Amino acid sequence: MAVYKADAIVIRTREYGESDRLITLFSREKGKLEAVAKGVRKPKSSQRGGTQLFTYADFLLYRGKNLDTVNQVQAKESFVHLWNDFDRTIAASCMVELLDVATTREQPEPELFFLTLSFLFWLKELDPYIAQAAYALRLMHIQGYLPVLDHCQECGKPLESEQSFLCAEAGGVLCAICKNNRVVKTLNPGSRALMKQLLRAKPDKIDRLRWNQSMKGEILGGLCFFCEQKLERKLKAWRQGSKL
Amino acid sequence: MDFLYYPQPLADLIIAFSRLPGIGPKTASRLAFFLLQHAEDATQLEKAIGDALQNIKQCSVCGNYTDSDPCKICDSERRVHSLLCIVEQPRDVVALEKTGEYKGLYHVLHGVLSPMEGVGPEQLNLSSLFGRLEKVEEVILAVNPTVEGEATALYISKLLKPLNIKVTRIAHGLPIGGDLEYADEVTIARALEGRRPL
Ligand SMILES: [Zn+2]
Ligand SMILES: [Zn+2]
Repeated sequence: MAVYKADAIVIRTREYGESDRLITLFSREKGKLEAVAKGVRKPKSSQRGGTQLFTYADFLLYRGKNLDTVNQVQAKESFVHLWNDFDRTIAASCMVELLDVATTREQPEPELFFLTLSFLFWLKELDPYIAQAAYALRLMHIQGYLPVLDHCQECGKPLESEQSFLCAEAGGVLCAICKNNRVVKTLNPGSRALMKQLLRAKPDKIDRLRWNQSMKGEILGGLCFFCEQKLERKLKAWRQGSKL
Repeated sequence: MDFLYYPQPLADLIIAFSRLPGIGPKTASRLAFFLLQHAEDATQLEKAIGDALQNIKQCSVCGNYTDSDPCKICDSERRVHSLLCIVEQPRDVVALEKTGEYKGLYHVLHGVLSPMEGVGPEQLNLSSLFGRLEKVEEVILAVNPTVEGEATALYISKLLKPLNIKVTRIAHGLPIGGDLEYADEVTIARALEGRRPL
């Protein structure tokens, strides 16, 4: 298998050498892949467009000894809406960063592939940060560490109209008594309810969901905190995004 | 690695070379052996590196590399001081200067916003930009046509909006000699935006 095909999204790019780019792909067939795209920082390269961040394309890759290289690429969708809007760029960056951090190489995850592709399309219409939160919750659900939100993970008490505390170690929320000195993030009942909707709603319904500034901070901050602890990695784009 | 078989100073030299961009372990050891065999070249290289490190700084006005502060461009009376071109890297200044077409001043960011690499506005040479806008009438954003470049351009233009300065973006689109059928939608969209009357 010297040459192989991948139907994939570019989820990370880094400058490499004189004019090459090291790209991380998320493919339908093989999950996450890494490859060098040679000469693509030169303006005349025919592979230039297809190897830009967020591009969805058909790739022909060559299996190298150390690194695979891009043999051919045919862009299918460049997601122009992600380029023209700062907030959409940030939200999409946060999504693909989480995907990158949450997955290992060459581990097929078709469900995550479709989830990501769908959200990159949906970002055209949706509020970018609502979409980011909905994406993160669904990714966590697929990977099996979705936080439990309706009862305390320690004493089992159902949580309704009271404050709760998100704790990665506990795998969900804790009540005010059980949270003790553990590292937690506050989640008010409104945020919990919205998170449940964000997880289940179809795209046309997501579009109707609204949050205020404090719920937005609570939910995005809580998800970042929870994922960072679960995955034991820093989410740089999420941290940047909350500052911009 | 073969380092075990090399005397320490030689191993150190090879390791130092292999940290440079685009240089793998094989090239690194080739370079190291070459320098050992060509003492004169090695001494010249040593001196050039020392001189550059000692004498080259970032211009306190524009951020470009210079041996005098402010740099020759910022200090020149023949340049148009009402025109400011923002670029990612010092090498972009060279690219623009080589055309001989641009007579304004520069501002070098030393990077672009890249949330995934943890590069935010505070890691860029941005704060000094606002101190030099008093006489500027037009800011030209000449960042690269990548997602990060676009995001940086959008971010800066948002910051400049309240200041009532004309902000323009250099036209991106089809490269000279490029083929329309190879171009992606972003390139074609940009090329259409940047069209001009004939
Ligand atoms: Zn409890
Ligand atoms: Zn200068």
